[in-house]
Amino acid sequence: MRLLLAISWRNLWRNRRRTLISMSAAGLGLALIVFYVGWIEGMIGEAKNQLDNTGMGHVEVYAKGWRPRRPVEVALADSKGLLSTLELPAGADAGARVVARALASGAHGAQGVTVLGVDPERELRLSKHFGDVRQGERLAPGDGRGVLVGEKLAEKLQLKVGHKLKLMVQGADGEMGVDVFRVRGIFHSIAAPLSRATVFVDAPAAQKLLGLGEVAHQLVVQLPDATQADEVKRAMEQRLGDRAEVVTYAELMPALLEIEQMTGTMTVVITLFVYLLVGLGIMNTMLMSVLERTRELGVMRALGERPRGIVALILAESFWIALLSVAAGLALGLAAVWAGADGSLLDFSKSTESWEMAGTVLDARVRTAVAVRPTIEAAALVFVLTTLIGIYPAWRISKVEPAKALRAN
Amino acid sequence: MSVVRVAGVKKSYLAKGKVVTEALRGVDLVVEKGEFMAIAGPSGSGKTTLLNLIGALDTPTSGTVEVDGRDLGTLSPNEQADLRRDRIGFVFQAYNLIPVLSAAENAEYVMGLKRVPAAERRRRVAELLAQVGLEGLEEKRPLEMSGGQQQRVAVARAIAAEPAVVLADEPTANLDQATGRALVEMMRRLNRDRGVTFIFSSHDPMVLESADRVVRLVDGKVASDERKSPGEPQAASS
Ligand SMILES: Nc1ncnc2c1ncn2[C@@H]1O[C@H](COP(=O)(O)OP(=O)(O)O)[C@@H](O)[C@H]1O
Ligand SMILES: [Mg+2]
Repeated sequence: MRLLLAISWRNLWRNRRRTLISMSAAGLGLALIVFYVGWIEGMIGEAKNQLDNTGMGHVEVYAKGWRPRRPVEVALADSKGLLSTLELPAGADAGARVVARALASGAHGAQGVTVLGVDPERELRLSKHFGDVRQGERLAPGDGRGVLVGEKLAEKLQLKVGHKLKLMVQGADGEMGVDVFRVRGIFHSIAAPLSRATVFVDAPAAQKLLGLGEVAHQLVVQLPDATQADEVKRAMEQRLGDRAEVVTYAELMPALLEIEQMTGTMTVVITLFVYLLVGLGIMNTMLMSVLERTRELGVMRALGERPRGIVALILAESFWIALLSVAAGLALGLAAVWAGADGSLLDFSKSTESWEMAGTVLDARVRTAVAVRPTIEAAALVFVLTTLIGIYPAWRISKVEPAKALRAN
Repeated sequence: MSVVRVAGVKKSYLAKGKVVTEALRGVDLVVEKGEFMAIAGPSGSGKTTLLNLIGALDTPTSGTVEVDGRDLGTLSPNEQADLRRDRIGFVFQAYNLIPVLSAAENAEYVMGLKRVPAAERRRRVAELLAQVGLEGLEEKRPLEMSGGQQQRVAVARAIAAEPAVVLADEPTANLDQATGRALVEMMRRLNRDRGVTFIFSSHDPMVLESADRVVRLVDGKVASDERKSPGEPQAASS
């Protein structure tokens, strides 16, 4: 066994160039796969954990029957009290929102929008864009007349800070509700729909506009770790009972979970595909290197090596190539993932501001993250496939009769 | 006791199912333990073919080959491999050695296959390499040695596992006269001192002279089988 490993290891370096080419082909292939799954992992991680790009919650609570038609009168009573009774994990943020469809009209036109009545202090932690005011000022708590609009809406309606904006809604009693607000600030969002059609007002102002009391349509909880969502949901369901519907981000964005599951399969498929190409090359190289040594292997047979021993020797050679390739590929791939963890490698901010993925919106600078399982799977697959590549050359050469092998040059 | 028994052996080489060469056309041969025997004959007369058949590297078209009392025709490929490992030593014309192994590692290769313990292997190899005059070259790789030195390593390897017979196919063909003669003399010494049975082929008269017995092949048949009488002095030519 030790001699076998020694011979095969030394054989590897008889044609250094050839071995290095095989190794870099396999290693580079693996490195690319590792980086690719690191990219996807980074995006999924961001999509799951950084929900503040859209203001979505890991867990959201509605009054039963509010979804999907969103009738204004179906609301959770005593939203403040409700919020304070929620027992949330450390580091979680939560807020209540009043939600209503409205027609927003300014001096230069009108646009259908979603009005969000929020608690400004809480909303700052839930929605990045709520705090990202580029002109004017943030919405202050207790500001009954102020409204915050997105850049795209401001552009469309030619709104400036200080302009008037009239919001028209259908109230809880079915009557029209109208109120005039003043644009306090214009916010920036990387999500185009939010920038185009969302406006923020103080929660009491929204309640008044709709003719509602101290209620909310939506409780939003953002967790420090997306994996806590199911547990938090269960706890809330127990606490709130029948009157509320509790959903997790995974239920709101089913595509995200699908993408995550698909990545696993994709890794295998891509790895197999890459190795169909790389593997053929390596196989060819190995076959060449083995056939060149026909005579030498014939001598080993003559000395009493069984055909099985020859197969083992060639497989030991592909084992070494596999081991080195995987080591090099992992090192390179993980180094790239590590280098890209700050978003510097996959920076698409020159061409776009954001990615849309599975119903959420991500920063154009993708921060890569180590995808542990797919990386291990890809490495294992590459290792096994590369080792198995030796089977064919080994089988071919072990079939050559010793007498014939000895006559080869 | 006979070590090798060849009876009625014919060997035809086929190409696409058709006989292209009748390399051996009915050979009978018995080799006794301790013989130092040469197979002579011009190129193409069937020397290599005959040695391959005796060495269980190839199978005859008809006839039987026995080595150490075992009929090779009844053995599976694995059993043939084991027989080569345990009972037969080989020396070829050239490129005998495994290039990535040192002289010592080459010499202990067959013992390794036999799972002789490492310490025992090392002891025997040191002794053998000294006997074939290669002291100090243990760590050299084949490419760092001369042709004569490589053939000595090959001989050491062939006898290391104490086979019943050593088959050497034109072991001196790639060596110059003096080196070739020295190699044969060394084989002769091993034959005398340790009783190793040698069958070697050659068409070099100088090499043939040192043999006790010369079997001459012509066109795949034994044309003559001459024994030197024990008292006859070694020819001291050139
Ligand atoms: N694999 C083979 N296929 C066809 N013919 C062969 C093969 N090996 C040897 N021969 C032929 O068999 C004859 C005997 O060859 P060989 O045993 O090598 O003779 P020698 O060793 O005496 O030179 C020659 O005519 C040679 O060309
Ligand atoms: Mg020959």
